[in-house]
Amino acid sequence: MRRLFYLVREAWANMRTNRTTTIVAVLTTAFTLACVGIFLLLYVNLRNAAGSLQEDVKVMVYLEDRLPRERVQELERTLKIDRMVAEVFFISKEQALGEFRVQFPSESHLLEGLGENPLPASFVVTLAPNFRSPDAMKGWVERVQTMEGVAKVDYNQEWLSLLAELIGYIELAAIGVGFLLSAAAVTIIGNTIRLALLARREEIEILRSIGATRTFIRIPYFLEGAVLGACGSALSLGILKFAFELFRQQIQLTGRFSGIEGMISFFPLSVCLALVIAGMGLGFAGSVVSLLRVGEGRA
Amino acid sequence: MDAIIQLIHVSKWHDRKAALSDVTVEIEKEEFVLLMGSSGAGKSTLLRMLIGEEQPDEGQIFVHGRNVTKLRPTEIPSLRRKVGAVFQEFRLLPKKSVFDNVALPLIVQGTSEKDIRRKVTEALRAVDVDHKKDQLPNSLSTGEQQRVCIARAIVNGPVVLLADEPTGNLDPERTREIMELFKLINARGTTVIVATHDPHVLNHVNRRVLTLVQGVLLSERRIGQGV
Repeated sequence: MRRLFYLVREAWANMRTNRTTTIVAVLTTAFTLACVGIFLLLYVNLRNAAGSLQEDVKVMVYLEDRLPRERVQELERTLKIDRMVAEVFFISKEQALGEFRVQFPSESHLLEGLGENPLPASFVVTLAPNFRSPDAMKGWVERVQTMEGVAKVDYNQEWLSLLAELIGYIELAAIGVGFLLSAAAVTIIGNTIRLALLARREEIEILRSIGATRTFIRIPYFLEGAVLGACGSALSLGILKFAFELFRQQIQLTGRFSGIEGMISFFPLSVCLALVIAGMGLGFAGSVVSLLRVGEGRA
Repeated sequence: MDAIIQLIHVSKWHDRKAALSDVTVEIEKEEFVLLMGSSGAGKSTLLRMLIGEEQPDEGQIFVHGRNVTKLRPTEIPSLRRKVGAVFQEFRLLPKKSVFDNVALPLIVQGTSEKDIRRKVTEALRAVDVDHKKDQLPNSLSTGEQQRVCIARAIVNGPVVLLADEPTGNLDPERTREIMELFKLINARGTTVIVATHDPHVLNHVNRRVLTLVQGVLLSERRIGQGV
């Protein structure tokens, strides 16, 4: 018990002795991790937004004119039993005309002159959640397009592909920036631990001479690294949360991008905890790097 | 009597200069040995080898039945727990109390809280600084600091106590006190080796004397009664 107390106390003493270095390390780590956090937050929100937008994506299957009723029913059955399809809704020519008149009342006179209703009957298809990726949708559309009686299949392919591409780029950037800045955090914490090692080399020498094992000597420095990492990470989440709320407030105040404030959200508690643990891991890695490079005996 | 320390043809070079040259010597259990020699004679090198801080370039060293030259790095701490060491510069932690400094070897070993209290109190009492247990080392006199250092070296009951120039910073009166303390520790069954360049120490100790000159063990003599 006293041993554990001693190790924790030593780690705390290390941080207190090198107070300025410790504070600088926590602040620098916090800002570094906050930069990673911005990308992560952007990525998570865009993914969520893309997910909810994809849920709303409907595929329009337009039917050929004057298609026999039996063929329409057959097509409906075929679509309904398709494992990629979640929902099928039929819109007759008359319903399509009615909707057009409701949505575009000022242009409805254009159709009057044509005599016969020019709008085709269609199926509005919602795909099952597992098949809403751009590739899966494209494959399905190509297949349905060849079915007898189908005139055209329409969905906003370009827009969806662009969104997927954008998310892909942000994911890559988040990984790249995350990797680089995490390495920076490891270096910052590693240097702090190195300074602590140098400041206490005489004490380490004494511990070695009285029979302390390498693990016993190293534990306070591992603890220090982990605490610095966790504090830096927690502080970075605080900074991010503050910036996030400020951003949301600005959106509400200016009225720009109205509706977006309901779509964006901060990290859930579980992700926040995971990020603090990740910060702890980075700090621990910094200590390990420092101890491997300098060595507690040669510090 | 059994040999607790054996050096067999031990040689060590520092920058092509012989720090120890073909030293062969045996030290028996419960013996008190003075290791004499001027500065640079090889005394500290020999003591450092006994606790695995340095390895010989040639020869074998046995301490308490273990071949120190064959120990893995992970086995060295257990050797150092059996061999207490006292240094000229005290090597006390300035920000820890006298009690905490002496308790350190026991904390390292994972001794229970109760045993730490008992053993530290006993050790401090043995060196007569128990009344200063809550003070910081820098508030003590040099003689008292050396006593604390000795208490730390004996607190876990080592089989051997090594002292490298323990009286180097002390006046003659304090030197006499510290040597009396070593004799007392030796009388309780601990093998004591004191390395010193000070010939006046011989006035206080009538025991076996090993003399090193430029890394060579020149003479070995026994002085005094009952040795």
